[in-house]
Amino acid sequence: MAFNTSFFNDLTDIFSKQDGYQLAQTLSPDIPTEELRKICRSQNAHSIKGALKRGLNALTVDFDQQEIHGWVEVYAAYWNATGVILAARESSNDSSKSSSLLWTKVYETWTELLNVVLRGYQNWGFEAWTIPCMYVVCKHLRIFAMQADEERNNNSSFDDAAAILQDDFDPETNKRQKLEDCARVLSRVFMVCQTDRAPLEESRKWGSYYIANLLLKTYFKLNSASLSKNILNSLRAGGRDMPDFSAFPKSQQVTFKYHEGVLAFLEENYVLAEQCLTEAWNLCHKDAMKNKELILGYLIPCHLIKSHTLPAEKLLEPFPELQRLFLPLCRCIKRGELHKFDLALQEGEDEFVKRRIYLTLERGRDIALRNLLRKVFVARGFEEAKEGEKPARRTRVPVAEFAAGISLGSQEKIDNDEVECLLANMIYKGHMKGYISRQHGIVVLSKSGAFPGTNV
Amino acid sequence: MNTSNMMPTWPAAPPPGTQPSTGYAASYPAPAYTAVQVRQSFGQSYSTPQPPYPVAHTYGPSHSSSPSAANIATNVNPSPPAAQEQAKTKIDWPDSVRRYVQRAFIPANLDSSVTRADMEAKLKETITQANEKNVMYSLDWDTMPLPQHMIREERARASLPLHSKSQAQSPAQAPGTKKRKSWDLTDAATLHPVSAAPPWRAGAGRLEDRVSFSPDRRQGDELPKNTSKFNRADKRQKRHEGEYTTYREDTPPPGDGPVVGTCQDLEKRYLRLTAAPKPSQVRPPHILRQTLELLKKRWKKDQNYSYICDQFKSMRQDLTVQRVRDDFTVEVYEIHARIALEKGDLGEYNQCQSQLKGLYRLGLKGKANEFKAYRILYYIHTANRTELNNALADLTAAEKKDRAIKHALDVRSALALGNYHRFFQLYNETPNMGAYLMDMFVGRERLAALCNICRGYKMDVPLRFVTEELYFESDVEAAQFILDHEGQELLEDRNGTIVFLTGKAGSRFEGARAKAFSRVDIKGQI
Repeated sequence: MAFNTSFFNDLTDIFSKQDGYQLAQTLSPDIPTEELRKICRSQNAHSIKGALKRGLNALTVDFDQQEIHGWVEVYAAYWNATGVILAARESSNDSSKSSSLLWTKVYETWTELLNVVLRGYQNWGFEAWTIPCMYVVCKHLRIFAMQADEERNNNSSFDDAAAILQDDFDPETNKRQKLEDCARVLSRVFMVCQTDRAPLEESRKWGSYYIANLLLKTYFKLNSASLSKNILNSLRAGGRDMPDFSAFPKSQQVTFKYHEGVLAFLEENYVLAEQCLTEAWNLCHKDAMKNKELILGYLIPCHLIKSHTLPAEKLLEPFPELQRLFLPLCRCIKRGELHKFDLALQEGEDEFVKRRIYLTLERGRDIALRNLLRKVFVARGFEEAKEGEKPARRTRVPVAEFAAGISLGSQEKIDNDEVECLLANMIYKGHMKGYISRQHGIVVLSKSGAFPGTNV
Repeated sequence: MNTSNMMPTWPAAPPPGTQPSTGYAASYPAPAYTAVQVRQSFGQSYSTPQPPYPVAHTYGPSHSSSPSAANIATNVNPSPPAAQEQAKTKIDWPDSVRRYVQRAFIPANLDSSVTRADMEAKLKETITQANEKNVMYSLDWDTMPLPQHMIREERARASLPLHSKSQAQSPAQAPGTKKRKSWDLTDAATLHPVSAAPPWRAGAGRLEDRVSFSPDRRQGDELPKNTSKFNRADKRQKRHEGEYTTYREDTPPPGDGPVVGTCQDLEKRYLRLTAAPKPSQVRPPHILRQTLELLKKRWKKDQNYSYICDQFKSMRQDLTVQRVRDDFTVEVYEIHARIALEKGDLGEYNQCQSQLKGLYRLGLKGKANEFKAYRILYYIHTANRTELNNALADLTAAEKKDRAIKHALDVRSALALGNYHRFFQLYNETPNMGAYLMDMFVGRERLAALCNICRGYKMDVPLRFVTEELYFESDVEAAQFILDHEGQELLEDRNGTIVFLTGKAGSRFEGARAKAFSRVDIKGQI
């Protein structure tokens, strides 16, 4: 591509078809370096605007002057950015030259482009079908921001002097400076989409979820769950004026539901989390393995906590990563192997913590313990059956027997008071029905369903 | 008493340079003072012609921004006729004035940096001025700043640039007790002649007098809402999640580079920067080291937290403006954090902690593990799962084996699994100062454990069992805890042993438990 006759012919085609995604392609920086160089060299700073103006004016499209002016500005800003990107790409190939913050420069010029695009929608009457242009520009803004941060962090000589007047310095300000800035810019874009009052057919509201998803991604990266909440609230508040959620592209729905689910998960709202993640799971394209894996990563712990169900091995078959992650734990829970459960949890701790599921999975220990206690109970067998009656289980279990069961795995002695504490907990949480009699050192279990939900 | 009745008794014309009396008459009609009973600060009620406290809405706008008028007024010596007048009418002094003078000399209110002579001079000046302006009876003497405070403020003003725009807050000292002391008013006011030198010069040779006191130092303490609103919303959010607490003040644009301090004073009052710091007011690191030694001694000796906290804040500020980030910086923050923890000042504690986090990350040496353990315990207290997860993610394998950190992790896991037995054992073995943090949530965990016990055990358990499991100091303490939560009927004396009737408890403690867990309200957490 270059700003020449064939480019303008393409534009005519795109505008008459109103193909937003194809139009967005013309603003993508994600093209081979050769292409980039072609665009960059096709014009110079002096001629660019004139050429664009002439070209766009000649299009056989129904444009008003403002719109033309807008697109001239957009492409000029894009052309401007190509030069900077080119320089950054070339210097990252040649490490000797990378002394200045080129990606920061890229980020800054790209922000200018985004601002021009934004003005196009606010002032120059860009139509709603062109909204994918905004997508592509926003998407790359985020990428450039991360590249800029990485470059700066690798280059310690660029120590920012901003913290100087503060009583204390804030160690976090610098590390993600550009990404934080990007989040601010994106949230402005989000507002521009959200607050459009044009009729729905041509409203920028259709861009809301794409931008929201980008923002959520960014906030997750910045580790800021509460800012993410704001986005959800804002979408919820605008609910009535928004197009129906199901009318948005499925890909956007899946991404959004996934994020919503994870947020609920982090807040321990497992009911909502399960609901959102299930929705995402059902909508997810069957071949989108990566996405399915991401969803399951939270949906499995959700099920474990909520319904005490474990994933079937068949479900995990296509996901070796998830198998490695969850299968050992699941086996221990199923068999009531308390000690092995502890070991498995410890084994996977780093990974679990990183995925923020550690604290949830840890609670699976309750189920493992319940299964262990249940085994002890079952192993004690039945009372001598009276004539003509169904044999009843022996429901009076010495605490010492449970203690023996618990220390079987670890071979470590556990004192009876602690066992009683664990039992009291089981009873309190409803995993076990019965009571402890401290005087006699026994547990009296319910004759009907001592371990609810387990057929015993 | 009515001001208009008294009018003829006093000379009407105020000396030139002081405020015209009409200004006060207008804003403070005589009967108004009786209506206001209790005051927390002096900001609104203070109505004497004391320019050191230019509270904007008290004075007319032209006066409030006129420091020159203020300076003149503070330096006015009582004019001879006024003094005579005072002597003549001594017996007419209202009780409120007498109480004021008494209050000034109560030992608790005395200030070591202000000499008695200075105080008496100031007292005399204040009373004389009130006399001259016919406000002797209309002033609210009970809330009038004490002379020692006025002097302190004046010194602070003197050390500030002349046209400082800072809005002064009057010092909010605790209102003195009304208990009468045997001080004789006439003695106090007339024994010593007024010295010609300005009050802040009198004791200039002494260390304490060189400390600069700032009038707006209290803004941060008293008006947190005002300062916090300047914060960017996302910063506030961030703080909400983590342990950024209290209000990080907005800062002016940075200058060219770090300041190199030249100040040689050991002590310095904390004053929030509103402009680039002056090297002459910043202490270089070698002075700060001496300061730290001094502060350590003083903390051991006096245990005066407000003084220590203020001094540490100014030290931290000096370190920051000079961009000193080394092991010494770590030490300063660590000591401040420990002291704040001991005194339950979670706001300052959290500020220090968030700084320490960054400093340790820079690879500086200190007691990183001790403070990481505190951090975990703190997140347990605030039940902040997100941050707890972050904290876990930050730990290395070696750190997890550290005694303090391991203890904190064990506490966390015991609570997560509802293992109160283990939890209270750990409570007993807390290393360092972690117990100060654990004390904050041990109460609610006891309630939770009690709920478990009530549900799990039938029909009863010995009270001693509760005492031991929940780690009470004694049976009495355990019984008191149960009684405090409306468990009167659950304790029964059976042949000399007290039993706790768990079977009868039902869900008696559930409410208290839910309440204790519902919201952790922490000072400084926004």
